[in-house]
Amino acid sequence: MPATEARTTFTRELHINASRETVFSYFTDPAKMARWMGIEHRLDPVPGGAFRVDMNGRNVAAGRFVEVEPPARVVFTWGWEASEEMPPGSSTVEVRLTADGDATILDFVHRDLTPEQAARHGEGWDHFLARLGVAAAGGDPGPDPYRGPPPR
Amino acid sequence: MEAVLRAISDPRRREIIRLVRRRELSAGEIAARFEVSRPAISQHITILREAGLLTERRDGNRRLYRARPEALAGVRSFVDEFWMDHLDRLKEAAEQEETDARN
Repeated sequence: MPATEARTTFTRELHINASRETVFSYFTDPAKMARWMGIEHRLDPVPGGAFRVDMNGRNVAAGRFVEVEPPARVVFTWGWEASEEMPPGSSTVEVRLTADGDATILDFVHRDLTPEQAARHGEGWDHFLARLGVAAAGGDPGPDPYRGPPPR
Repeated sequence: MEAVLRAISDPRRREIIRLVRRRELSAGEIAARFEVSRPAISQHITILREAGLLTERRDGNRRLYRARPEALAGVRSFVDEFWMDHLDRLKEAAEQEETDARN
């Protein structure tokens, strides 16, 4: 796929050897979320409730819970505080959990709210630049450039 | 990769990329679109060029610049890696929790 081509969603399917209830709690329980994403959390898992994850003391993802249907589905908006390109709530994450025996199939979709803009001819580049807000803010963990002082 | 991310972290540099996305412009033409000084714009251009985000072509005395989107290909995969890595860790943590509960 050429780098200029617009792509408005990130999707991934995972097979997890854990129950849906367990997997679901990793999206709503701050202590559990800390085991896979971010260092400080404010999660109010009701529709309209806060979703805020401080990734590394500097980059903060923020949005709101939209739908909370344990243990099957959770939807929240997503963006980055202080980001012009992808401000809080400017995109949507949907997580669907399907039971597979004792295991769970997790369908993950991160959808941007501006697909029409991205789809417009020649807008792929702009859209792609906007997506970089994700990368530039989420470089956690490990030795990556975002851990250091802001690149200015 | 770091050079590319650093280059695009600045809104003015992103604006420069947009300006030369579909056409070539000289440094002067680019600078004319901004309120900041010409040397400041030259420095932005240098950073973008060193990151591989702009190509430079000489035409007589003029230097013409054009965006080079291929340079972002690596960054695209980096964006994906954010979720790939984090979801892998989620899987690990959830599976570990149930393994611990059973033992």
